[in-house]
Amino acid sequence: MADVHSLKQLVLGRQDVQDMSDLESEVPPDLMTINMGPSHPAMHGTVRIVLTVDGERIVKSDVQPGYLHRCFEKESEHATYTQVFPYTDRLNYVSPMINNVGWAMTCEKALGIYDKIPKRAEYIRTIVSEISRITDHLTCVGASAMELGAFTAFLYFLKAREWFYELLEEVSGARLTHSYVRVGGVNKDMPHGWDDKVLHGLAQTDKVMVEVEAMLNSNKIFRDRMAGIGAISREDAIATGCVGPIARAAGVDYDVRKDYPYSIYPEVEFDVPLGTTGDCLDRYLVRIEELKQSIRILRQCFKQIPPASDAVHGRFLIDDHRVALPPKHDAYNTIESMIRHFKFIMDGVKIPAGETYTFVEGGNGELGFFLVADGTGRPYKAYVRSPSFVHLSTASQIMHGHLIADIVPIFGMINMIGGECDK
Amino acid sequence: MAQKVLDALMAAHGGSISHTESQHGDEIAWVKRDDLLAVATWLKNDPAMLFDAPVFVTAIDRLDWKGWTEEQPRFEVCFQLRSVKYRYRLRLKVALPEHDPRCPSLANLWPAFNWQERETFDMYGIKFEGHPDLRRIYMYEEFVGYPLRKDYPKEKRQPLVRRDDLPINPLKREGA
Amino acid sequence: MSDTVVPPQPAAPAPLAPPAPAPNPDHVTLTIDGKSITVPKGTNVLEAAKLLGNEISAFCYHPGLPVVAQCRQCLVAVEKNPKLQPSCQQTCGEGMVVHTTDPASTLARKQMLEFTLVNHPIDCPICDKAGECTLQKLYFDADNADSRVDTQKVHKAKVVDLGPTVVLDQERCILCSRCIRACDATSGQHQLDFAHRGDHEVLTTAPGEQLDNPYSLNTVDVCPVGALTSKDFRFTMRAWELESTPSVCNGCSTGCNIEIHHRNGRAWRLIPRHNPDVNAYWMCDEGRLTYHELREHRLAGAIVDGLPAGWDRAVKVASDRLASGRAQGALSVALSATCSNEDNFALAKLAQAWGLTSVYIAAKPPVPARADGRLRTADINPNTAGVKAIAAALGLSTKPLFELDPGVKALVALGDALAGVDVGRLKEIEYVALATHERGAVPHARIALPIAAWAETGGTVTNAKGHVQRMHAAFPAPGQALAGWEAITRLSQVTGGKLAWGNAREVFNEMIAVVPGWKDLKWAREARPLALRFAGSRG
Repeated sequence: MADVHSLKQLVLGRQDVQDMSDLESEVPPDLMTINMGPSHPAMHGTVRIVLTVDGERIVKSDVQPGYLHRCFEKESEHATYTQVFPYTDRLNYVSPMINNVGWAMTCEKALGIYDKIPKRAEYIRTIVSEISRITDHLTCVGASAMELGAFTAFLYFLKAREWFYELLEEVSGARLTHSYVRVGGVNKDMPHGWDDKVLHGLAQTDKVMVEVEAMLNSNKIFRDRMAGIGAISREDAIATGCVGPIARAAGVDYDVRKDYPYSIYPEVEFDVPLGTTGDCLDRYLVRIEELKQSIRILRQCFKQIPPASDAVHGRFLIDDHRVALPPKHDAYNTIESMIRHFKFIMDGVKIPAGETYTFVEGGNGELGFFLVADGTGRPYKAYVRSPSFVHLSTASQIMHGHLIADIVPIFGMINMIGGECDK
Repeated sequence: MAQKVLDALMAAHGGSISHTESQHGDEIAWVKRDDLLAVATWLKNDPAMLFDAPVFVTAIDRLDWKGWTEEQPRFEVCFQLRSVKYRYRLRLKVALPEHDPRCPSLANLWPAFNWQERETFDMYGIKFEGHPDLRRIYMYEEFVGYPLRKDYPKEKRQPLVRRDDLPINPLKREGA
Repeated sequence: MSDTVVPPQPAAPAPLAPPAPAPNPDHVTLTIDGKSITVPKGTNVLEAAKLLGNEISAFCYHPGLPVVAQCRQCLVAVEKNPKLQPSCQQTCGEGMVVHTTDPASTLARKQMLEFTLVNHPIDCPICDKAGECTLQKLYFDADNADSRVDTQKVHKAKVVDLGPTVVLDQERCILCSRCIRACDATSGQHQLDFAHRGDHEVLTTAPGEQLDNPYSLNTVDVCPVGALTSKDFRFTMRAWELESTPSVCNGCSTGCNIEIHHRNGRAWRLIPRHNPDVNAYWMCDEGRLTYHELREHRLAGAIVDGLPAGWDRAVKVASDRLASGRAQGALSVALSATCSNEDNFALAKLAQAWGLTSVYIAAKPPVPARADGRLRTADINPNTAGVKAIAAALGLSTKPLFELDPGVKALVALGDALAGVDVGRLKEIEYVALATHERGAVPHARIALPIAAWAETGGTVTNAKGHVQRMHAAFPAPGQALAGWEAITRLSQVTGGKLAWGNAREVFNEMIAVVPGWKDLKWAREARPLALRFAGSRG
């Protein structure tokens, strides 16, 4: 018995034998405790699950995140507001632009310039956000399909994803870690002819979507592995804090873009897809529909975006010396702009004391930043409300009663992104 | 928008609320520690409130705040709530003294707070009383201290694995 | 001054009187931007506004220097006065109504900044002051507009050697005259002055002089721009990268309050910190450079008989060897006037536990030429008063270490300042050194135990006037060095003593309960390094 205890101590990380009395009382003696992860080929990200199984069936599970903890909040407390952007890139690294936009909006709200961002900048932000949402869903769905054996769908979707990564690289300079958005706007304007490339990419993606849907939607293996797996009720989804595609698959009509509209989302038309059963298949279908809605938003954005020549709305960065960097030419040639540049880089944007919680619709749902500012150029506290973390906390509950093999689609559709979950 | 939430809260539980404020459109109610559970239960169940959706839990360490003195409470635990039906948002705050950072747990009301309170405990050392499973979540069990407290230096390292084969003594290294 | 602890003294008059029912004849009440404030007579408007939380921009005004109203940067509107007034020179009057945010004075201050920047070189990337520059700060906070002047900038000398410690860049100088006044005020010698007129006016040394007084580096501190730079600090470290920890200078018995500016585990400069009771705004150059020795010839590991040893073995060997000296009654202990109160108290307690009634005091020899009646004193030990008070409180008689009794066979000595001691004699006895540096007699010690220096450990020192002042740890001690009291505690534990302190606060609390006159002192919370970058400009 002592050996079993020590083994469980080792596996569960619990301090003493008394702590395991709950296991002893609940679990019949012929159950087995096994360790899945931290690095398992079928896992999104690095996460460890301590499973108690009755044969193949999961009786109890303890999900342990933290292997990718990069001290986002601690680092942010020692960086200027602008220096936090690269850290946000690495939260949900499949859709970094949305994280950028979320952080920029948090700073702008705290600064009180929330409604002074130029229209063109808002449109560019929305465009890159929606492209990011597309890459996020393409990756999530493609990878899940691959884990269920549908390798072709994965290749098709990743092909489409690479088009968009290349487009984002063209606009920001980096394929994955864009750091493109700034407090007060974006870093630089869209390159010439970029909009046509995006529209072309969208048309190509439409074709890929048709192909992949044909491959997956009526695929018996895919449907059998997804339908009825990992279902969660509407009430449970709300109480466990689920947001985004997971909550919508369970019938919760909550989309930050509709319920607490921000940026230019009130000016574009789109629908919020809802599921009924809350299982993995509905999560898949919601994501597929969101992909189409994002494409719809993008097409409207390119029609409505004010041209750069527009004197009122055409700027890509706010015209405010306290927030925006001066042009490089001035910084090198006048002492005024040099000082401005210097203070901006070294001391940071000074945000008055106060606290604010701002949230956007990320790839996985409500992505919020809780900022406590103390009047200096760096955050006193920067908390990120990461949807992945909240969703992962429900994983234990929704895995219960399923087979070990079902962990794969459940995890795929929870879309736990290590960088965002572990911060 | 949700000033009426604060008004209703004051009307129903005025004695439990030390004060309310509104910052950048966020409504904040400061709740007395011992009454938190009663206030939260009311907010969740009252048909005019229905704060059914939990958003986040975190804490603020006021140690480095300008003007903070040892007599003031050092920690503030924030519970952000949302009402799906009415779209209200509300932040409950509980002030905790430095040497007694205990806070009632709301994990039994909103299951989402289970992990988030564990995270707050892990990072700030706030002891959530009544939490079903309060243990570290990001850091390992052997970790000493609470990394997001202001007095935990950013540069401090706590490697979990001790490497006895590495020469610690510089003289030993020279000899090798 | 929350971290400076002083013995109980008669209460000083409060600078800002509470709203009293009866008007105080020594105070005046005025209105600044609609807010009423009562200040002592003679206070200027700038200081009164500062009490209201309204910092009026200024270059030439310094609270520790005479007012000249030279920069015109602090202009404010005073009602019933047709012209704008410099708030630094305008004394508060009864019933005066001042406006600092009205269009006229705001415009005047903005235009002064624009004017000041007309000839300012674009030097920020190569300027040592960048990041803590008053000009940068005021421009960014108060003006932040583009210049309307588009002419060639006037060029002046970029490198002017003013003396052994300071270099001048005349182009950066904004002619505020702070340095001239600081030089006069701190040293009493007029070594700096202006020459020429108009936009050719430059700062230079006074005829026949160079800037070589012992307080010359204060001119660098007060310079609001990067015109004056310290030869010691320039081009070594960017100011905004530094972190600041409050401490006390250990250079002499004055105990000037300082900030240690440090990064990456080492000090880069020492800056005076305001304390009206000790050093006002100033400190001497010699004290300022004492940070260098924190990195030189440090004892980083324990040494037994000339060979490196671990702490455990070193204290074990020390214990064995001291036991034989103790048995013969030939063991003695030397406290040190260069170490903190806590270290000395710990060693004195150990001496008491060993049954000694007399201890020696090790100290650096006095330098009579240093004493100038200003900040510099002849006694270059930071804690002479403290060590004497502690020994007296514990009933130990003292004598200087150079009068070492011939019968002493074993000696535990704190510190490395063994002035006048016969080194040959120390070589013959069981000499256990608790030292920060490997210098003086320490290389001859049979056993040397490394302890942390003043910047690396929290503690208190007592200056010549009796102020017990707190030092905070800025960075970790090198190698295996422990705080002095901690090393003594370990030594005590192997020699059968009962000292068991866990931190410096416990030592302090036990000490103040014993030493007469110290019982009301409070141990301030440990100060954590403050990143200068986010603390705002020092100006």
